[in-house]
Amino acid sequence: MEKTTDYILEVKDICKYFPGVKALDHVSLSIPFGVVYGIVGENGAGKSTLMKILSGVYEKDEGTVIFNGETIEHTTPIQALRRGLSIIYQEFNLVNTMTVGENIFLGRFWENKGMRGTHKKARELLDSIGSTISTYSLVGDLSASEMQMVEIAKALSFDSKLIIMDEPSSSLTSEELKKLGIIINQLRDRGVSVIYISHKLDEIFEYCNIVTIMRDGCVIDTKPVEELTRSDMIAKMVGRTIENEYPPRAHFVGEPLLEVRNLNTHKLHDINFTLHKGEILGLVGLVGAGRTEIIRALYGADKVKGHEVILEGKPVKIPTPKQAKQAGMALVPEDRKREGLILPFSVESNITMASLEDLTHMGIVDSSKEADIGKRQIEALAIKTPTPETKVVTLSGGNQQKCIVGRWMERNPKILILDEPTRGIDVGAKFEIYVLMNKIVEAGGAIIMISSELPEVLNMSNRVLVICDGRITGEFNPEEASATDIMDKAIG
Amino acid sequence: MTKTKQNSVLEFFKQNLVLCGIVVLIIVTAIAEPKFLGAANLNNVLRQLGPLPFAALGMTFVIIAGFIDLSIVGIISLVGVITVGLIDPLGQGGALLVGILLGAFLGWLNGLVLTTCGAMTQAEVLFITYGMSSIYMALALIYTQSETLRLAKSEKSYSIFTTLGSKNLGIIPVVLILFIVILVLMHLFLRKTIWGRAISLLGGNKDAAYLVGFNVKSTMRLAYTINGLMSGLASIALLSRVTTATATSGTNYETNAILCVVVGGTTLKGGKGSVLRTMLGVVLITLLGNCMNMLGLSTYMQTVMRGTVLVVAIWLDNRKEL
Repeated sequence: MEKTTDYILEVKDICKYFPGVKALDHVSLSIPFGVVYGIVGENGAGKSTLMKILSGVYEKDEGTVIFNGETIEHTTPIQALRRGLSIIYQEFNLVNTMTVGENIFLGRFWENKGMRGTHKKARELLDSIGSTISTYSLVGDLSASEMQMVEIAKALSFDSKLIIMDEPSSSLTSEELKKLGIIINQLRDRGVSVIYISHKLDEIFEYCNIVTIMRDGCVIDTKPVEELTRSDMIAKMVGRTIENEYPPRAHFVGEPLLEVRNLNTHKLHDINFTLHKGEILGLVGLVGAGRTEIIRALYGADKVKGHEVILEGKPVKIPTPKQAKQAGMALVPEDRKREGLILPFSVESNITMASLEDLTHMGIVDSSKEADIGKRQIEALAIKTPTPETKVVTLSGGNQQKCIVGRWMERNPKILILDEPTRGIDVGAKFEIYVLMNKIVEAGGAIIMISSELPEVLNMSNRVLVICDGRITGEFNPEEASATDIMDKAIG
Repeated sequence: MTKTKQNSVLEFFKQNLVLCGIVVLIIVTAIAEPKFLGAANLNNVLRQLGPLPFAALGMTFVIIAGFIDLSIVGIISLVGVITVGLIDPLGQGGALLVGILLGAFLGWLNGLVLTTCGAMTQAEVLFITYGMSSIYMALALIYTQSETLRLAKSEKSYSIFTTLGSKNLGIIPVVLILFIVILVLMHLFLRKTIWGRAISLLGGNKDAAYLVGFNVKSTMRLAYTINGLMSGLASIALLSRVTTATATSGTNYETNAILCVVVGGTTLKGGKGSVLRTMLGVVLITLLGNCMNMLGLSTYMQTVMRGTVLVVAIWLDNRKEL
């Protein structure tokens, strides 16, 4: 077919209004064939809204979309797919109880003349991206990166010319990320364009050819990646210059506060460690190494027997989160939306829910004190919300995370456990969370931080424990250790 | 300017759909059948409000906690027959008390069975409470030997029941006054106490409530106990009105109670809801039944209408999310 245009996708002056907000303000982009096109911006910059318009989830209010030379007025997700535009969301759209082959051709088995043809075609697609997953495996048994391969194969099965990847690396380990990089390059060589959306700027610099920076629903700048530096990019994203991504490291480590002895489960083996007052202890390891299991066992969220916990010199039993809370512990869980927030509830209720018992006299909750707590934490953490009664679901990721942190700040926890505290939140909010962490340790609290972002752990913690296959395989002083040393222990 | 005015009127309708529905229903029926507004019919409607509001009130708690309870059919039936049976041995006061406490106990037992089974999804809860209902009804059948028990056959006095069932204070039935007192108490319980808040938080997100230190299982048992207690009261109200009890008296109360809760605007997804809204649902559903009677619709058509209203209510609730 003769190409009538140099661009697979042209977007001109797109506007989108939501009640009270202009989510997109005259956004224009041109994406050539066979490039990896990065889009960066803080949460709420309009990236997701734009992608949802392209994939047909939302209708645009103004502007034109030209896909592969054809002007698109209205589209639905399935029409977009058939035209050759696929989107791979952060949370995969796969059926866990079906096989890989069935997932790739979901609802289109007849096109391949039955199941045998379906599996054969699926095999070809997976081979073409160098994946060796069996098409007969159940998707539920796959790792996150394998699921992503299945998503990519699914996209290719529609003969996609443009694949949008929304935060593709958030659940991948660094090994898996390398594989993804290879596949993205293969796609580009085939002439497929990729829109790569990520908060992780290192990936943008590594994979992308062109980058568009968005802020507050507008395109701020579009440049070839070589012409941008990291600090330029951040400055354009946040609209101000950030001197440092991390605040200076806190040095308040004191006497031992918590000792964990002989923590064993079917997944964890001989976990022993000590946490000191004023310390930020980093737990690193690959996804699935057992980091979250350690802190859940410690917090009483999972039933575990036989381990000893010594808090301030006294042995304690923590069988449930309730007891953990009474002992002065606090947990900010990994999955903010599933385990942390009550999405349809107000900002205030989400903040006060951990303190309700303290406000209760003879069973009656003192609602004026409750409102005070809400206001106090919204102010203290600079949570951006129109009112305390606003539903928390409408806030940006960073502000949602601050609600969960604020919930616990109100109780002055002795031990704050943060599981991936900055996942999916923007640069500005990240910095604010780091500053808060330092404040907590300065006040004598201790923090256990799990993070998959090594630079974060290296810059924030006083000590790092490396977890691999349910064991502690290394202990480092982050001021001296290098990322390679740590990864070496984490891979095992 | 006029546009914003239009919007706010539209917004008012959206927020108060049930209330608007009630008003429209009254106007339409009154025009078609003027007897609808007559004193005789109004008294009839007030009296019909007897058992259903109690059942719907209890169901609201279970649904706000994110669950559902089909067992109230069994609870209402069993409590009814046992209460009648106990009037002679215990006297009417004792029978009344034991009947109500039996309701609460059966509700607590539901909660215990569910938490012991680890049933946390609505589907599991649906089937287990359905099973519990069969057990309670079977017990009622064994107890009555499928006979109809009559208050009139009691040798001792049963004046409390007749007072509840047929006496008015002014124009307001006694049972309705009792109900309003309980409604206010339950409303305050849900909004103001930590236990009520725990029920709402549980319905909003069980995992999050657990991780901030709420006891999910005991909160769940509490919600079911409240529903059992309210079903016990519903059973007493029903017994008082019809003066008989059978092993199947509670039939259809579960669907009607759920219907009232959902039509009132409490979401089946759990978390958000209000007992006062449920009462609007009760009024709408009761009026709808009465209007259809007045207009001479067959009972079959009435069942069709109720089903339609339920589907529309869920549809509207899901649209609100968008």
